[in-house]
Amino acid sequence: MQDEQTSTVQAEQAIVEKICEKFGFLTGKVFVQRKKRILTQPLDKEEFEQLLHYAHDELGFYRASHVVGTDDGEDLGFIYLLVNEEGVILALKERAPKSNPQINSMTGVFPSLELHERELVDLFGADVRGLPEGPSFPLPDGWPKGNYPMRKDWKPEYFDRKTMTYNPPREDADKEAKSDE
Amino acid sequence: MNEKRIIGNRIVIPIGPQHPSLKEPGCFTITLEGEKVVHAVIGVGYNHRGLEKACESRSFIQTLYLIERVCGICSHTHSTAFCQGIEELSGITVPRRAAYIRVIIAELERLHSHLLWLGVAAHEIGFDTLFMYSWRDREKVLDILAEACGNRVNYGINTVGGVRRDLDDNVIQGISKMADSLENQLKYYLDLVMIDTTLSARLSGIGKLSREDAMKFGAVGPVARAAGISYDIRTIEPYGAYGEIPVKVITDDHADVFGRTVVRIREMLESLEILRFCIKNIPDGGIAVKAPRRIPAGEVISRTEAPRGENIHYIRSNGTDILDRVRVRAPTEANWHGMKHMLEGQYLADVPITIAAIDPCYSCADRAIVINSGNKTEVMDWQRLRQYSIEWYKKRGVDMASVKMPESKAYF
Amino acid sequence: MNILRKAIDWGMRKSPWIIHFNAGACNGCDIETIDALAPRFDLERLGILQQGSPRHADILVCTGAVTLQTRDRLKQIYDQMPEPKYVIAVGTCACTGGIFDGCYCVMGGIDTVIPVDVYVPGCAVRPEAIIDAVQKLLDSLKGGKKGGEKNAG
Repeated sequence: MQDEQTSTVQAEQAIVEKICEKFGFLTGKVFVQRKKRILTQPLDKEEFEQLLHYAHDELGFYRASHVVGTDDGEDLGFIYLLVNEEGVILALKERAPKSNPQINSMTGVFPSLELHERELVDLFGADVRGLPEGPSFPLPDGWPKGNYPMRKDWKPEYFDRKTMTYNPPREDADKEAKSDE
Repeated sequence: MNEKRIIGNRIVIPIGPQHPSLKEPGCFTITLEGEKVVHAVIGVGYNHRGLEKACESRSFIQTLYLIERVCGICSHTHSTAFCQGIEELSGITVPRRAAYIRVIIAELERLHSHLLWLGVAAHEIGFDTLFMYSWRDREKVLDILAEACGNRVNYGINTVGGVRRDLDDNVIQGISKMADSLENQLKYYLDLVMIDTTLSARLSGIGKLSREDAMKFGAVGPVARAAGISYDIRTIEPYGAYGEIPVKVITDDHADVFGRTVVRIREMLESLEILRFCIKNIPDGGIAVKAPRRIPAGEVISRTEAPRGENIHYIRSNGTDILDRVRVRAPTEANWHGMKHMLEGQYLADVPITIAAIDPCYSCADRAIVINSGNKTEVMDWQRLRQYSIEWYKKRGVDMASVKMPESKAYF
Repeated sequence: MNILRKAIDWGMRKSPWIIHFNAGACNGCDIETIDALAPRFDLERLGILQQGSPRHADILVCTGAVTLQTRDRLKQIYDQMPEPKYVIAVGTCACTGGIFDGCYCVMGGIDTVIPVDVYVPGCAVRPEAIIDAVQKLLDSLKGGKKGGEKNAG
């Protein structure tokens, strides 16, 4: 079973080797998850951008299918999924702290990322630099500023849909309730 | 919405967000120079419900039914992608019979979705006869789906570890009967599209998206395949039972609306072949294995070929029964960017069919406000835009009323 | 009830014009609503006609849980319809918010925004149920129910 696995992922292994050859510092950070899937560890901004450009220019990952935003506690995670003509998915991960969630837009390389990066701005509060102008997506008009619904600490229960305001319970109210108990 | 802008002699038209007859809302702001579109801005998000957030507060079984309602037309492909992801994370293998049943339902869904598209596209160009024909044929497929799953839409047949219902002999016989009669009809439509000059005059050269552009803008599904890109997840990454089933990828090199029509009709014929293979070779055995209570921690990228193209689900689990993150990338999301490119440089009359041709899961449009340079404001809805395009073509000698429908074989 | 009103109601019962609006549905109920107008079910044979513009419509067939973005549009469309006007909520989501209840962009059922006359539950609603809903609505008109006036108070 194991042998069968290694023989079927040869093409993927070759891509990983190419990446590690070009960028020595990435050794161990890029790995084959399974057939047609190459994943990376969360990378620094510079490492990430170098690898993304290299994957587009040299490795034939012509298409970016989408970006997955994640909330990893202190940080925001961004997973860029690139696809080549054989359908291999290369998932590049980038990370930025919530205190300064600044990343660079990749729409210059992959124009198809426009909507997905807008989504990061709306739903996660990421600060995407260099995003072309256009309507926001996907939150409705009049959504209160500073509310990023996909962050884990944002709870839909506290959102008043009629007035479009977010009213989390006050912390001291919590304490009072506890002291009452 | 009621954005009025006049730049030189350019006219800005917002179209949206309500479509009077079909599907979901969206908004297109189109800038015109004379009759040509010079710039298009696509505004979507009217149907943003906050579904992915809801997935983070429900157990994975509840999430499955929520995921199925991402889209009512291609609900099966979403639930298949989701189940596959969970199954991969927890390391369970679906029984072969269940995998075959999933394929059968998926192909039936492709048939009904493409027939629906054919009708909608025909309606947009003013060819209502074909709309009625294809929606009539679609009922045959829906009958089978209703018999197999108990519901015409949102089948609810998938579950983690297999399927919830077995197919009995009645259904299997029904499929083979349906396949025979539908094949005749589909060949008839294919002939109609290939031979009739009126249709090709209306569809050829519209919504061009060359192979290079399709790759650049990340087009998927029939849009990419019509541009000659042989990209189909069923062959690239044979999931479920597709590994055992011969699938022929349909491509075309017209790279326009005509090409997309031909690809979709041929794909339906191919789906019938797949169905015939499945009902002949469906193995006996169980239909489901038990799903674990908790999903082991990890992340997985699962994808399927939806009727509209590649459908990708990203699932991350933290080891409990509630998933940490679910991200659904529906195929329409990938085709939006190319559409902006397709619209630019077209005539206004071609806008409805170009938008319809990617088979958008959120279509458009009620009010389009045409602002002339003389500050005269004219309110135009989607239906009037459609009417305008039909009239525009009539003046140029392309009239769908002149299409002679050759006698079709007795059907009911 | 004056003569004119009686005449309008009689006309309505014979040939109501409907408009369909998707307020945030999954498309399932929408394709079934269109299906009701397609050859198999063919609402048109009962005199029911699909209309593109709300200004010509008598009945608003509304699907889906209302999202925040479509909320104002739904109100607008309702306001544009001439009286007497009636609303049919098609699908479980349109009745109560259904499976999408609690999502941050979802208001809930159609009745959180506009008054609803007929509720049709189901996921997805079958075309037969939609036809039945229209029929029930028309039957109720015989009793002299006044559409559109109920939100005056």
